[in-house]
Amino acid sequence: MDFSVFVQLLLPGLTTGCVYALVALGFVLCANVSEVVNFAQGEYVMLGGVVAAWLFAHQVPLVVCILLATAAGALLGALQERLTLAPVRSSPYFIQITITLGVAVVLRGVALIAFGKDPLSMPGFTGDGVFEVAGAVVPVQSLWVWGSTALLLAVIFWFLKFTDPGRAVRACSINLQAARLMGVDTGKLTLAVFAVAGGAGALAGVVITPIVLANWDAGIAYGLKGFIGAILGNFRSPGIAVLGGLGIGILESFAAGYLSSGYKDAIVYGVLLAYLLVRGGVFVFGRLSLQLK
Amino acid sequence: MKSAIAIAAMVLAVALYPFVLPGAYPLGIGIITGALAAGTVGFVLLLGYAHQLALGQAGFCMVGGYASAILCVNYKWDPLAALVVGAALAMATAWAIAAPILKLRGFVLAMASLALHLILIVMALEMPFTGGALGTYGVPKFALFGLALTSDLAFYFVVWAIVLAFVLVGLAIDRSRIGRALKALAASESAAMSVGIDITRYKVQMFVLSAGMASVCGSLGVHYLRAMDPNVFGFAFSLNFITAVIVGGLMSIWGGVAGAAIITGLRELLRGLSLPLWEGVIMGALTVIVLIAFRRGVAGFLSLLYERFTAGKEPQRVALAPPDLSSLSTIGTGSAKLEVSGASRSFGNLKAVNNVSLTVETGSITALIGPNGAGKTTLFNLIGGYQPLDAGAVRFDGRRIETLLPNEIAQLGIGRTFQNLQLFDTMTVLDNVMCGHHRFVAKENKNRETALRALAFVGLKGAEALLPGELAFGHQRLVEIARALALEPRLLLMDEPASGLNDSETERLAELILRIAALGITVLLVEHDMRLVMGLADHVVVMHHGEQLAHGPPDVVRKNSAVIQAYLGVEHVAA
Repeated sequence: MDFSVFVQLLLPGLTTGCVYALVALGFVLCANVSEVVNFAQGEYVMLGGVVAAWLFAHQVPLVVCILLATAAGALLGALQERLTLAPVRSSPYFIQITITLGVAVVLRGVALIAFGKDPLSMPGFTGDGVFEVAGAVVPVQSLWVWGSTALLLAVIFWFLKFTDPGRAVRACSINLQAARLMGVDTGKLTLAVFAVAGGAGALAGVVITPIVLANWDAGIAYGLKGFIGAILGNFRSPGIAVLGGLGIGILESFAAGYLSSGYKDAIVYGVLLAYLLVRGGVFVFGRLSLQLK
Repeated sequence: MKSAIAIAAMVLAVALYPFVLPGAYPLGIGIITGALAAGTVGFVLLLGYAHQLALGQAGFCMVGGYASAILCVNYKWDPLAALVVGAALAMATAWAIAAPILKLRGFVLAMASLALHLILIVMALEMPFTGGALGTYGVPKFALFGLALTSDLAFYFVVWAIVLAFVLVGLAIDRSRIGRALKALAASESAAMSVGIDITRYKVQMFVLSAGMASVCGSLGVHYLRAMDPNVFGFAFSLNFITAVIVGGLMSIWGGVAGAAIITGLRELLRGLSLPLWEGVIMGALTVIVLIAFRRGVAGFLSLLYERFTAGKEPQRVALAPPDLSSLSTIGTGSAKLEVSGASRSFGNLKAVNNVSLTVETGSITALIGPNGAGKTTLFNLIGGYQPLDAGAVRFDGRRIETLLPNEIAQLGIGRTFQNLQLFDTMTVLDNVMCGHHRFVAKENKNRETALRALAFVGLKGAEALLPGELAFGHQRLVEIARALALEPRLLLMDEPASGLNDSETERLAELILRIAALGITVLLVEHDMRLVMGLADHVVVMHHGEQLAHGPPDVVRKNSAVIQAYLGVEHVAA
């Protein structure tokens, strides 16, 4: 096996994996505080990308593009929670989750109408240059992706570990009911977490756009691949979800490079199916753990 | 009556439509609507009844579409045979995926079915026999038993005849024991399992059935389009299914038909207005709005109108008959002994239940008591199969049951009630209790009769037609007990039956429990209320910090100093 080919596949995989990792983290955090799987998670990545690229094409300074797109993601995340989830908080989770799907469709539709069918592009933050690592050629923008993801993850994990609201989020992930009884205001917390998840997704969408273009219907793929990461973390562990997201990015890149670029999605989704089948099949011999709701 | 009117209305509308709106364009819309309805009727059973969200339903349309296109074009198959083979293939695929995956809880089917769909799209693009991105062209017109349907009008009627057949299947399921089980699991999975409903099995059945119907939708669509390519049934088509069923009405088979008509009409309207890009926004917004504002959708709205129209004046006040003690005299299949030995269960470092052994003697009333956090409810859930044991064994009637699922345990004749009421709040009191009889595959008359007798026994005769939410809290507790009795249990587990009841209600509950025991049913109850327990139980087991502290007859346990200490603190013992 040629090492430079390996690196040439690994690093771009890591780059897209960063996006999946942030989506996976968003899934897990939202689910922890609200028990809701937010199917609109991937759409925030798409929105961040198209909003930033569209603003940039309209001569808005780059820094402002980045900030506005991220803020838009956070704002929409908060709006989604306030307008479509807060009013139905006591409804069955099935209803709440189906609502997030409707929101995803609306976000896609809005992007299609507002920004058009064609993919939008945007130059790298510090030019479109490349650099070389171990014989592999990587766009400079990748550094921005890795750096901003690392920074964002560091902030979020520091927040979870060392602040009161962060501890509250972790308490919710262990036992939502008990956290409520202990005085955690899950309403406010959910609002904040949806905003953070929306903003983080949008920022990921902005930084990846110079590498992969921004397209109105890219949200499902981001969502589904992030979901795989989240499910590896059992929708509970933020850390494993992040690692899962990174792993899916790398797996996808290797599948495209070593096997077939046409089949790369099929392979990644096949892994999800296989994982679920094994997880489900295991219980044929074992025993389900059920929670009373 | 309501369905008869609905069926007549549908038949009439379908028959008149081509003559009221003649021409090829309206007829085409009629065919597309019918093809979509064939799929959405199945989808109602999945989404509305089994509460399983599938994001890749269009994948099964692809299976049917490609089966019809490839078999009819490349192999000159008869279209009807190709349609049937496609549906069988779709159902087999659905079963292979759902049977293991649906054992997992949560919303994994949604993403799993989406992943399957996206894999199918990749396969359609890459496989040698699908025609790749260009697809397969020259699909013949549909034919019935070798007779080609040369006119679109004939095809239109065939499509809608299939829809009618699917609707009749759906209505039959709705009225059957399966339909009741589905409504129960949609309302509360825990409670559904407590009466022996195998929730995984019914979810899988609905997924498989809906996949078959989606495949037929795909086949019919392809015979209309006369071509198949990977884009025909994309993600947007899956979303059409979801929007159609939600807007049309989740809780009714008719929601599928109404939704298909609304979605197709809406799309044509937007095309007419040159606003095709708005389709997504409008459909998504409709989904959200209906789910927030009026969850029953258009079909639910029509049904509400019908009820307003036909119902008399105000519903009469319900007068409850006194409990009829003789009504359940024939119940009971013989009670049986429960033995727990060395049961342990930890959550992290907390030993919620630590090496507890107890025996509930045949025909006895045994009470499990202890301060808050003593591990009573956990032990209860271990016995009921709601949580796995870390160690130990549970035997019922001599048989090991600790590895069984809650529904399997219920099937053995162990009924239970819940501390936090778990009633099926969308179903009438009678239907709730009829669910209790699920483990007996009996005629509906027998089910109803058993349920009525159980209701009479607990003193709820007269409340049959109400929804549980319309009853006082104490009466809701009785509904749960009646439901558990309809199981004809040999052992009844009651989790804090007196919580939330006032003094006189608690007194009546005690009488009821004694009457239940008098039927020969073994009773194990978890309770806080010492007065209730001491007056009732033959045998008391005291738990503290996950361990068994004492056991014996109430009088003995009451004087046990360790028990007094656990309940009241050290100083009371000294005094």
